[in-house]
Parts: sequence; structure tokens; C-alpha cells
Amino acid sequence: MANAWKIARKSNAQLPLVIVIALAVVLVLLGKAQIGLFDRARAHATDLMAPLLEKVRAPVAGFDRWIGSIGEIFSVYEQNLKLKEENARLRQWRNVAIVLQGRVGRYQALLHAVPDPQMNRVLARVIGRASRPFLQTMILDAGRGNKVLPGQAVMDARGMIGRVYLTGQRTSWVILLTDLNSRIPVTVAPRNVQAMMTGDNTANPVLNLVSHTVTLHAGDQVTSSGDGGLLPAGLPVGTVMPDGAGGWRVALLADAASSQDVEILNFSKPPEAPPATAQLPAEAAGLKPQAPPPPAAAAAPVAAPVKPKPAPVTPAAPASAEDVDR
Amino acid sequence: MASLERTVTPSRFRYLIATIPALCGLFGAIIANIPISLLGGLVPAPLLALVPVYFWCLVRPDLMTPAVALLIGMAEDVLSGGPPGIWTLAFVLTYALVARQRDSFAGLAGLAAVLGFAAAAAFACAMAYFTVAAFAFLTPGARLPPVAPILGELAMTVLFYAPSALAVKWLHHKLVGASRGDV
Repeated sequence: MANAWKIARKSNAQLPLVIVIALAVVLVLLGKAQIGLFDRARAHATDLMAPLLEKVRAPVAGFDRWIGSIGEIFSVYEQNLKLKEENARLRQWRNVAIVLQGRVGRYQALLHAVPDPQMNRVLARVIGRASRPFLQTMILDAGRGNKVLPGQAVMDARGMIGRVYLTGQRTSWVILLTDLNSRIPVTVAPRNVQAMMTGDNTANPVLNLVSHTVTLHAGDQVTSSGDGGLLPAGLPVGTVMPDGAGGWRVALLADAASSQDVEILNFSKPPEAPPATAQLPAEAAGLKPQAPPPPAAAAAPVAAPVKPKPAPVTPAAPASAEDVDR
Repeated sequence: MASLERTVTPSRFRYLIATIPALCGLFGAIIANIPISLLGGLVPAPLLALVPVYFWCLVRPDLMTPAVALLIGMAEDVLSGGPPGIWTLAFVLTYALVARQRDSFAGLAGLAAVLGFAAAAAFACAMAYFTVAAFAFLTPGARLPPVAPILGELAMTVLFYAPSALAVKWLHHKLVGASRGDV
């Protein structure tokens, strides 16, 4: 092999190596500070590749399924029995859920509870997946043209898969919950334990508890907490599992490797107007402040002190329609 | 003299042929980063773009210049979707290593040649990992990236070296050829 390689000794490089290395370092720093430059290029490249990806998606998905099902050929009968049993059990649970949903709706009406925010959903198809050392992502065939925006949650039929982090005109990139850069606030039922779920490129993200005095149990349900207003609360995520070293991880409900059609949730919580700074808690609650007793005439030899004018009491009036829309 | 000039001087497609190493690198970046997973994401995609950089850095550094390595690294960065600039820096540093040790790398044959490429690929992966780890270390609350995925990427890159190198060598012999000074 060495004989075949005739080595050119002279390199008429236009840019010296040192300058190119310096440029690369600047690029790393620039990419860290101005990530939008690279993101726009990526989104544009993906938009260009989208027709090709859509064409090859079906055969690749078929091959993928075929590869994945090789190991299941010999257990089809047992799986069929198990699925039938599970299906019967789930039908019972479905009836229970319908009854409970109606009951919760009645209770909410009685209590004048604030209804859950309405969410628009965009159904998208997975046209690409990438598993790189520093990124685990999937590409969907819906983008800004379908009103998909960065930050929106992506779900499959079982649970949450990840969040949109980059949108092109016709495509969008999803950062998976297992990715190294994924962090979402979650709640662990039934005790409403608040935690942060952090991906580390393994199949089961790490659960970092906010409080270290609580104890969890394997099998506890993990849902999104909605903290920060980026994600809606209550999205099913997974179940708690021990990591074998005293910590906890999450067994995800969704299977990002096999999902073909997903939903993108358009969740936008209207911003809450902060209370006026001069407003006291009692005023904010709608209670009128009591007027101070009138000063005695003899006790007012000089000008009376200026009393700050209380802010007008605003009863819990709904925000304007524009605010609600926002 | 005139006839000798005609035989030695490359054809009129000289400039087009001179872009073949760069185009091969870009093609490798595109192929490796097509977001299609045949095995359900079990194994990462190989760094196919590194093969042309390594090969032509050894045999035709006049065509595979540091700037071309920078361009190919940028393409790898844009298409892979990872942190920006990581592979650009890794490719350029690997180019510098291979260029400095050109005699050692080019003298390898057979299995040793594969091991030589494996060393260069390991250096590239290590540079990429340490850059990401440095950023993670400087970011409060961030975790260090796991080592297993980058080792998987290295293994896949080395595994795909033999067929990629065959294709690159074929292109080199058929189209590019040795530089004039070495013929």
C-alpha cells in the first residue's frame, strides 16, 4: 500500500496551518456564542434534503422493522397471548378513565377551576433520525410553515419524546429526552415530587430530585411539571427506575427509535401580568383598606403629613382579550 | 519540448480534478450524516469525511490543504447537528498531526495502514470529546458527555475505513494521480 502512495512533498497551501487552526478555534467559540448561524444552515440543509428523506423513509422503516423483529419471530405466540390479555385489561381501564374524566369535568365546573390551556396539535412524520456522539435527534416533516416553533413538545402515542429545537420552513429537528443537552422539569406522582430529568445519551435519563429528603419507588409515574411555562403540565414521560448506584432514572414510555408519526404540541401559556408594586396583598385580594381615624383638630398644628394614595383596587377582572391571546 | 509539456501538464480539467479531494470529503460528510438509521440508532454513523482528509493529506497535500480540511470539518458540523465547530477543530488538528507525521503514516502498509488511520481517527474523536467536555466543564450543572458513544463512532469509522479507502484510492489513481513533482 505504501508503494502505491506517491507522496507530494510540497504543499502550496493558501492558508498556513496555524491560521486555519486559529480559525477553527474561533469557529468553536463563535458557534457557542452565535449558535443561530449554524442552526440556520442546518435547517436550510434539512429543508433541501426533505424530499429525498421522504422518498427513502418507507423502505428504510421497513428494513428497520424487519431487523428489529428478527428476534421476535420465535416468541410471536406468547406475545400474542400477552397482548390479548393486556388489551382486555386496557379496555377496562379505558372505561374507568372515561367515567373519571367526566367526573373531573363536573368538579372543575362546580369549582370554577381554571381550565387547562387549549393546545393545538400538528401531526408530523419522522423522516430522519441521527444518533451521534453528542446529539440524539430526529427530523420531522413539519416546520415553520406548519406553525411549528422551537420549544414545543413532541409526543408519540405513548408519551413524550422530546422538544423541537430547530425549525426550517418544512422540517424541524427534535432534541430527544435522552440527549445530553435535554433537561426538563418533571413531577413524580403520587407525591408530586419535583425533579429535573437530564439526558445523558443513554436510554434512561437521570432524575435529579429538587429535594433530597423524599424517597421514590420504582414504578412511580413521571410527568412534565410545566414549570417555567415551556411545556404543558401532565404530559406522560415515563416511570421511575433505580440506577443501581443509589440514584434514580426514568424508563421512558415513548420509543423514539420506532416512532413513525408524532404530535407536536403547540403550547403557549399567556404571560401573567405582575401585580402593581404599590398594591398590598389585602388590596390584591379585593379587600378595601380601612381609612385611618381622622386626626384631632388640636393635634394638627402644622400641615398634615401627605398620605400616599392607595392604588385603585382592581378586582380579579379577566385580562383583556389581547392579553389572553398572547 | 512542446510534446513533453503536453504529456506532463495535466489536462484542461486540471482545476476540476483538483477539487476531487474536497468533493470527496464533502460527499463523505453528506453520506454519513443522512439522518437515516438502519439499525434503530444502535450504532453511530462513521466519520466518512475523515478518510479523504487522511488519504489526500498523505499523498496530495497540495490538493488537501488545511483550508479544505477546515471546509470539510465545517460541513460535518453543519450536517451532523452537534455543537458547532467541534468537528471542524478536530479535523484540522488531525490534519496537522498527519501532516507532521506524514512519513510515518505513509510508510504503513496492510493492517498497519488501518492502524495508522485508527490512530488518526482516535485523535480526531479525542479532540472532539475533549472540546465538548471542556464546554460541559465550564457550564454550571452540565454533565460530562459519556465516552461510550464516541468510542462507538471511532469503531465504526475504523470499520468503514477499508471500503472507503479503496474507493478513495481508486479515484486517486483514475482521476487525481500523483503530483507532478513526484512522477
